[in-house]
Amino acid sequence: MTAVPNIASSTQRSPLEALGNWLLQYILRPVLQILLFVFIAGGSISLLALVVGFVLQTDWHGIDILRVPARINLFEQVVRQLPNMLLDGITIGFVYAVIALGYTMVYGVLKFINFAHSEIFMVGGVVGYEVMIRLRAADMLSSLSPLVVIVLMIGVAMVICGTLATVVERVAYKPLRGAPRLVPLISAIGVSFFLTDFVRGFQALNRNVFNMPYPTDQVTFFNERIVLAQGVSTTNTTLIIIVSAIVMLVGLNYFVNATKIGKGIRAVSQDQATASLMGINVNLMITITFMVGGALGGAAGVLYGLKTTNVTPYIGFIPGLKAFTAAVLGGIGNITGAMLGGLLLGMLEAFFSALLPYFPALGLGYSDIFAFAVLILVLLFRPTGLLGKKVDEKV
Amino acid sequence: MATNALFQNGAPQSQPNWREALPTLFALGYVAIVYFLLHSIDRSMLLFPLWSSILFPMFVISPFIILGLKIDGRLKVLLIAIIGLVLMPILGLEDTFYLELITQIAIFAAMAIGLNVVVGFAGLLDLGYVAFFAVGAYLWGVFTSNANTIVQISGAQAAPELFWLFLFLGVIAAAITGILLGLPVLRLRGDYLAIVTLGFGEIIRILVSNLSNISSNRRTPINITNGAQGLPGIVGPPLPDFLVEGVANLTAALGIPATNVRALTYQLFYYVLVLGVCAIAALVAARLDNSPIGRAWTAIREDEVAAQAMGIPKVRMKLLAFAMGASFAGAMGVIFAAKNTFVSPESFSFIQSIFILAIVIVGGMGSIRGVILGAVIVTLLNLQVLKNFSLLINSLKNIDWVIPIINFPIRDWPQQLEPARYERFVFGLLLIIMMIFRPSGVLPAKRRQLELQAAMGKEEIPEAEIIADVETIKPEDLLGNQPKEQS
Amino acid sequence: MALLEAKGVLKRFGGLTAVQKVDYLIEPRTINAIIGPNGAGKTTFFNLMTGIYVPDEGTITFDGKNITGLKPNKINNAGIARTFQNIRLFGAMTVIENCLVGMHRRLHISLPQTILRLPSFAVQERTAQQRVEALLDFVGLRDKANEVAKNLPYGDQRRLEIARALASEPKLLLLDEPTAGMNPQESVAAMQLFRAVRDEFGITVLLIEHDMRVVMGISEYITVLDYGQKIAEGSPEEVRRNPRVIEAYLGRGSAASHV
Repeated sequence: MTAVPNIASSTQRSPLEALGNWLLQYILRPVLQILLFVFIAGGSISLLALVVGFVLQTDWHGIDILRVPARINLFEQVVRQLPNMLLDGITIGFVYAVIALGYTMVYGVLKFINFAHSEIFMVGGVVGYEVMIRLRAADMLSSLSPLVVIVLMIGVAMVICGTLATVVERVAYKPLRGAPRLVPLISAIGVSFFLTDFVRGFQALNRNVFNMPYPTDQVTFFNERIVLAQGVSTTNTTLIIIVSAIVMLVGLNYFVNATKIGKGIRAVSQDQATASLMGINVNLMITITFMVGGALGGAAGVLYGLKTTNVTPYIGFIPGLKAFTAAVLGGIGNITGAMLGGLLLGMLEAFFSALLPYFPALGLGYSDIFAFAVLILVLLFRPTGLLGKKVDEKV
Repeated sequence: MATNALFQNGAPQSQPNWREALPTLFALGYVAIVYFLLHSIDRSMLLFPLWSSILFPMFVISPFIILGLKIDGRLKVLLIAIIGLVLMPILGLEDTFYLELITQIAIFAAMAIGLNVVVGFAGLLDLGYVAFFAVGAYLWGVFTSNANTIVQISGAQAAPELFWLFLFLGVIAAAITGILLGLPVLRLRGDYLAIVTLGFGEIIRILVSNLSNISSNRRTPINITNGAQGLPGIVGPPLPDFLVEGVANLTAALGIPATNVRALTYQLFYYVLVLGVCAIAALVAARLDNSPIGRAWTAIREDEVAAQAMGIPKVRMKLLAFAMGASFAGAMGVIFAAKNTFVSPESFSFIQSIFILAIVIVGGMGSIRGVILGAVIVTLLNLQVLKNFSLLINSLKNIDWVIPIINFPIRDWPQQLEPARYERFVFGLLLIIMMIFRPSGVLPAKRRQLELQAAMGKEEIPEAEIIADVETIKPEDLLGNQPKEQS
Repeated sequence: MALLEAKGVLKRFGGLTAVQKVDYLIEPRTINAIIGPNGAGKTTFFNLMTGIYVPDEGTITFDGKNITGLKPNKINNAGIARTFQNIRLFGAMTVIENCLVGMHRRLHISLPQTILRLPSFAVQERTAQQRVEALLDFVGLRDKANEVAKNLPYGDQRRLEIARALASEPKLLLLDEPTAGMNPQESVAAMQLFRAVRDEFGITVLLIEHDMRVVMGISEYITVLDYGQKIAEGSPEEVRRNPRVIEAYLGRGSAASHV
């Protein structure tokens, strides 16, 4: 996704050819790349699932906690569950990918872990709920076209979260630029905690609620099932999540690679000092980065809310950490990497959620450990991630 | 009168100048008045929560006022000992809530001192510090609670007398955990290290919430931590009878009605124990700071490359910091489990780690005195002030009070906005404000303050380096005649 | 026997080979210099010798011991101390504390000694303090012992870096552009200091330097690097007459030296 448009030659082509070229460069190629990533992630996890299922269906290993009750044929179960597992993995994987972009963009530009991004994401989920509830109150939820509902939810969430992220940057991070790395990180943790309770208090006052269930049952389109194959079906919601995520990923790719602001952001992430000498407004680029990252986080919050159909002020933490893990897995600072990392992590999560219940000594309670384990393993063995480059400190 | 006598004991001054003694007299007067008021406020009074949350913090910070006086060190120790071991216990016997508060403060102070070794001295941000606390707590919990199947089957329940041994083992186990965690992760850069320690803390929490069955056979489950329900029935060390009798006599002498003397004795015992551990932790941390080890930590914190080039074994020093920091938390974990007679994963969540971090940051990274003051501020804010504000609002609602000037009837204060339930809000705000306005804390360590100033003042653009690249060797210098020596 | 011997040392950064198969010898108790245009690989070579980088190929032997790929602290313990091109003092520590850090490997204080404050602790701390004070006397910073390092004037910071390096009692002292930014008077004083280091302590000195007055004035042996390769070596006189050196500097001098 690092395509650089060839300005010199494009002037000589016919408009139609130029359009075709543009489509190829900024739509078709990124979409194909995302599909390739889906394929890679899905393929590797399927392989992992089949191997694990095959290896663990017998007791030859003698490890008690990895023992499955005798009546269960683990391999058969894996084969039966594989399609749903993949579908689930892709859906949640796209959500992680969209959140991870926020982490990775800010890290790329400021070399700073925006710990509060998980709460921006949470706010997105809450905004999605508010939009739906208000539409329902105005009796428009079932009468409006589902597409309009989705666009409204995502759009409002993006605007609010983009603004919120910018405000957070202004208030809590900007005064700390140039301070030792840990200072803004601690401030970000503070923002994260603050926002959690702020939203809780706000919604408690506003509607006296803590749990915010999405009224998805009011929109029949969301719950219509699509049959993909024999025994494999899903709802339109899954489709909505996947399509919206792809649209956002492609849009971001266009923004970063083809627009002037995108180039500015890339320049700032490579070398702030040089970028500012070249006349790029570094502060503006940083603000825009936060805005775009926040908007994506907000959109991801809506998608997450649609998937789980319930949000609370506390939903940010775990998905946030998983998305951060995804960003690190792909190579932090690398936008393409965040997409691959998100998909891989989503698949892994689906894999663990599908398999863990078969082991009496383990159970679903452990399903969150995998993300932390992946995070630690990646940082230990390949801190630059799958697609990252090694950077030496200059002495 | 007492001051005069003490003065002649401490500083060898034949004629103490009354002007010099004035601050001391003020301090003693302050302690006496606050203590007297704290004693005499009526619990049934409407504004009791307000007065209590003003006067008690004022009393608890009195040792810091005494530390700031210009008097002989031994005298300071004596005065602080009187406050800590005489005045406070008496107050605590009258109202055990105060005793509980001060015990919590000391527990968190000791842990914050430990975290301060890691964060403040060695400059490693640990976001999963509470994991070491969990190691200590579950070490004692697993071996004494009867909810644990291994203990049930083997009958290997630890006798309460082994508490002291386990206190020591808790230190060792936490230190070993610290080293095991540190070995692989310490080569990571600061912010990555922070996230990995967070992950580690969460892994420990998830483990203890799930180790309620590790057997593949559903009919014979093996329960270790009893999962999310936690381990009940943990015991403390046996107390000799004379202690209980002593407390009974004391309450009788003070005219305090005591219903359960044994429980009261335990509370008092834990208070003294925790205070002692806290004092030892502070002493050890201070001695480490002021030693070649402390200098090596500072050097690593300031410039890893230069420190290593000066012969400092980076990994070993960092591991030492991790192990030392962890060991304090391990000891406190054992005491915590015994004191509460119950442990559950809830006590070891991420917010607890942040709570301890907030203490270190509010107090001042690297400053032991600051960190203890931080523990006072943050713990009281969390356990007393916020709670008392909730109480106060409720009691004001009962009398239908209206805030003057703005004419706000307190009865309209929404139920949902009970201050005690918004600790994240308060701590989040506290962290942000501290980082922006006073990143070196309330009582900063001098060195840390210098470091932060240096970093904040630095321009983003390293101009000097750009200029250095342009400057280059002049051929004339090389080819010219003998270098001219100028004198 | 040579004090330090590098054989075929090579270091790559991605596609760039910063140091290409350099052989290098340092005799004990000599003053040596490495010179070369910017980007010639001088500092990289220093970093290889002090363990900050690990060579991709080749070996470095110091005092009869193979130190290739050792950690920087181990190399310091073996007896090589250094200063940095862009002064890397511990800014918030005092002058004396900086030197005490340098003395770390000479102190043998265990954890129990520290925590229990055994008498041996006090003895060691006191002797360390005295040795550092003597060193500060030597570099002329005695009266600034308790000042914070970052508040020192530039020249004093350079001296302090040397004192800190000397505190580890090295056999070989590496100085990376020690007189950069100094005026001529300061440079002369610095040269006298480098000579004194060798003459009084018997420490071998190796410096990277751009100021030819300094290089020619005190070096007994000069090595010239260009594009990561050794192009000449010998006495100042020999190097000055070496046609390859003239070419390296003058050939590109007009084009590259003032970019």
